[in-house]
Amino acid sequence: MSHDRARTDGPAPALELRGISKRYGPVVACDAVDLTVQRGEVHGLLGENGAGKSTLMKVLLGLVHADAGEILRDGARVEVHTPLQAAELGLGMVHQHFSLIEPLTVWENVALGEPGRVDRNTICADVEAVGARYGLAVDPTATVERLSAGERQRVELIKALRRDPKVLVLDEPTSVLTIAESAALFEVLRTAVAAEGRGVILISHKLAEITAATDVVSVLRRGRLAFHCRTADTSAPELARQMVGRDVSLRAEGAALGLVVTDDPAKHLTPVLAGGLGAVPAEPPAPEASADVPGTAALALHGLCVAGPDGRTLLDHLDLEVATGEIVALYGVEGNGQATLGDLLSGLMAPDAGEVRVDGRPVSLDRPGALHHAGVGVIPEDRHRSGVVLDMSVADNLVMTDLRRFSGRLLMRRAQIRAQAEELVERFAIRTPSVDAPLRTLSGGNQQRVVLARELSANPVVLVAAQPTHGLDVGAIEDMYARLREAAASGVAVLLISTELEEVMALASRIAVISSGRITGVLDVADASPQRLGMLVGGEAA
Amino acid sequence: MTTVSGPAGTPRRPLAGYIVGSVGLRRPSADAWRTAGITVLCVAVAVGLAALLVTFADGSPVEVVDALFTGSVADTAGWSQTLVNAAPLLLVALGACIANRAGVFNIGQEGQLLIGAMVGCFVALRLQGPGWIVITVALVAAAFGGGAWSGISAAMYYTRGTNVVVTTLLLTFIAAQVVQFAVNSPSLLQEEGMGSGPARPQSDAVPDYLRLASFGQYPDLTIGVGVIVAVVATVVLAVLLARSRWGFRLTMLGLNPMAARHAGVRASRLGGSALVLSGAFAGLAGGVILLGTVFRLQPAISNNFGWDGLLVALVARSRPGLALPVAVLFGALRSGSSYLAATGVPDYLVDVVQALLVLAFVVPPVLSTLWARRLRNRAPVADTPARPTAAAPAKEEVQV
Ligand SMILES: Nc1ncnc2c1ncn2[C@@H]1O[C@H](COP(=O)(O)OP(=O)(O)OP(=O)(O)O)[C@@H](O)[C@H]1O
Ligand SMILES: [Mg+2]
Repeated sequence: MSHDRARTDGPAPALELRGISKRYGPVVACDAVDLTVQRGEVHGLLGENGAGKSTLMKVLLGLVHADAGEILRDGARVEVHTPLQAAELGLGMVHQHFSLIEPLTVWENVALGEPGRVDRNTICADVEAVGARYGLAVDPTATVERLSAGERQRVELIKALRRDPKVLVLDEPTSVLTIAESAALFEVLRTAVAAEGRGVILISHKLAEITAATDVVSVLRRGRLAFHCRTADTSAPELARQMVGRDVSLRAEGAALGLVVTDDPAKHLTPVLAGGLGAVPAEPPAPEASADVPGTAALALHGLCVAGPDGRTLLDHLDLEVATGEIVALYGVEGNGQATLGDLLSGLMAPDAGEVRVDGRPVSLDRPGALHHAGVGVIPEDRHRSGVVLDMSVADNLVMTDLRRFSGRLLMRRAQIRAQAEELVERFAIRTPSVDAPLRTLSGGNQQRVVLARELSANPVVLVAAQPTHGLDVGAIEDMYARLREAAASGVAVLLISTELEEVMALASRIAVISSGRITGVLDVADASPQRLGMLVGGEAA
Repeated sequence: MTTVSGPAGTPRRPLAGYIVGSVGLRRPSADAWRTAGITVLCVAVAVGLAALLVTFADGSPVEVVDALFTGSVADTAGWSQTLVNAAPLLLVALGACIANRAGVFNIGQEGQLLIGAMVGCFVALRLQGPGWIVITVALVAAAFGGGAWSGISAAMYYTRGTNVVVTTLLLTFIAAQVVQFAVNSPSLLQEEGMGSGPARPQSDAVPDYLRLASFGQYPDLTIGVGVIVAVVATVVLAVLLARSRWGFRLTMLGLNPMAARHAGVRASRLGGSALVLSGAFAGLAGGVILLGTVFRLQPAISNNFGWDGLLVALVARSRPGLALPVAVLFGALRSGSSYLAATGVPDYLVDVVQALLVLAFVVPPVLSTLWARRLRNRAPVADTPARPTAAAPAKEEVQV
């Protein structure tokens, strides 16, 4: 493979990985991987969930020790054993999962881990300067726990960029940014990279991002380098095929990958909804019909009010109904109350006012687990926070919300748990060496799948899915969409919380728009146009 | 290659497997060997230092080492004493394991143990009835006493959010005052005095028929009821933590409270009861000391068993199965030290010697971790800057 990349002319590449191998017990995470990053180049790294992308990058950053292989920086062999050495060599990374300390402020988080004296004013100024430069505005004095996921992601990026890395690794940096936000970011990043001669490795599952923002692209499959070429010479479908090893339908799923043209999504997507679903099971027949029948709302939210600890209004008399068999999308710009609603429906907090009814019966929200008991399945937005216990096994995580079913009077029924876990691992294609492996050792996308598997398999009456495709690879997104439609077809009321217009248009039959904690309007997907939605998002009635 | 879900995973483990597993005997890694090596070294250094100290105090180092050994594990009499000491340590440690698992850090065992001993003493001296009933009631009451004491901390934490570490610690000092008061008030627990001299600040002795039985006769090995209770509790707790729904929920709460809540765990109930339970174990330890060895309530009855028991749990990384051998080890240090005191070495020196030995067993895991990290950081320093421009070592490039 390496011969078509070998360049005899020009300076030594900024970074070169040669024959990197890493094995975890029986799992070969990386298998003799070669990777070259030239100066001024953005190198896309693709691969299925569990292909070994993060592991390879952790080797580069000194977080994981490779079993074999070598790293060359500007043509000279280097040893990277700790993140500090990596930093000295000008290597920086934004990790797949947040690594911010929540009670600290933005500037404190940015300064964290830097040697030398810490000066508040310089760092604050830096944060603002970097933010202005790359279009990542964030208040340096804000406390991180108050920030939305998108803002946190910006802080991570600023933290890495401020250290002025010569080679920057971005591991799914945009999964919580909207397509528009990430497009803006990459445009700036690209020009900056080219002008300053930096190298960037970009890991992403959003093919649009890869095709738009990278110069060359490499695909990992099961730890091996499966494909490598210049981005200009390939296409999204080709990349998807190289990744999965088969053809992937990129129709509606294209939404989550950012492949759908965004000028007029309604027009563009109608044919997709009408019949272009390919291998995907048939769409629920006319879900709108059931939505009109009064009294059948499987999930009804009435007058929900929540005030934040600082007195800020998070939810403001929020009303929303989802009927059985219908997919309703809650669409809006990130940070307008979606996270609060997600927490509320996960049973993590009780509202100040208002009620939640499931199947017509009110649920007492201050009893933990009451919502789950009533049949509400939740795929939380931040899976690490409330979705999983990283230090427990895959099997334990798969049954965690339904312990009574898997235990006798006193003791857990291990055999039954294993059987259930093995079935789910099989059904949801979770890649793990065994169901006893700690969840922490799974790849990011496979951790997501564990949550999806658990919540979908609990036969919920209502399924709340917040950003369900974040972190999933192409194949898994395809699968996810099919499952959501399947769930709706079998009578589950699905509430899809999403910031992606295309995803919303592709999946939902009705779209509720949230702005400043209020529902500003509910539209049938047929009546929805970007203009009308845009007005609602801005808080005006359409 | 990587998607294996079949029976290739771990086979079903029988009960014994769980216990062995929770003791940590599964895979002695390189780290384990390093830690063992460091431990041997540390103990040697501690013994050396102790010997040195004793020499300065005009004692004989050889006799010190000999006394430490004879008093703890040299013969059945030593072992008997070691086990007597190990029982309350183990009970306290079990309680600490429960609280730590749930993510609430109780450090007030010393006070909970005192209160337990006091309540147990009250019951034993006031309640009339057949011996075994009174003993049982007294032990249960001791557990209740300790549980109630830590329950105060639980209530403060889950209603007002007051830090558990702070409240359990401060309540220890209050507990000491309460016991002082009790043994100084004739209307409460102060001894009647036998007509000879004034009453001292301690309770009457518990009558003979209320003392915990032990099996075996000196000089054979004797095993007290306290030891049996502690070992049974260890096994039960190890199984419950590893296999019960309660243990599962407790672990979940400790590792990720948010996810636990999502899964229906009410932190105030489960975490609060874990804290109460850990106090109850400390209280029970107080009862066992009272009825098993000291027989009367004295302000010094706790004798650091609470602190040391907490230490046992920490060394055992909150695993009951591992706490058992660690408690025996700490028990041996205690019996060795008291034997040493009996040979005429001054008390303060005995304390120093004991502290040195405890350190020798607590420190090695930490040193081992630091060392491992050091090794990793050090290696490349000698390596990296040495080849600045030796571009691309002549290794073949084509590797695929
Ligand atoms: N600490 C670990 N212990 C054991 N196995 C691990 C560990 N870390 C990763 N693995 C395994 O290595 C493989 C590659 O994981 P990696 O995180 O690199 O995947 P990835 O390409 O980043 O996937 P994703 O898109 O899901 O983030 C996975 O099968 C994973 O289970
Ligand atoms: Mg990853």
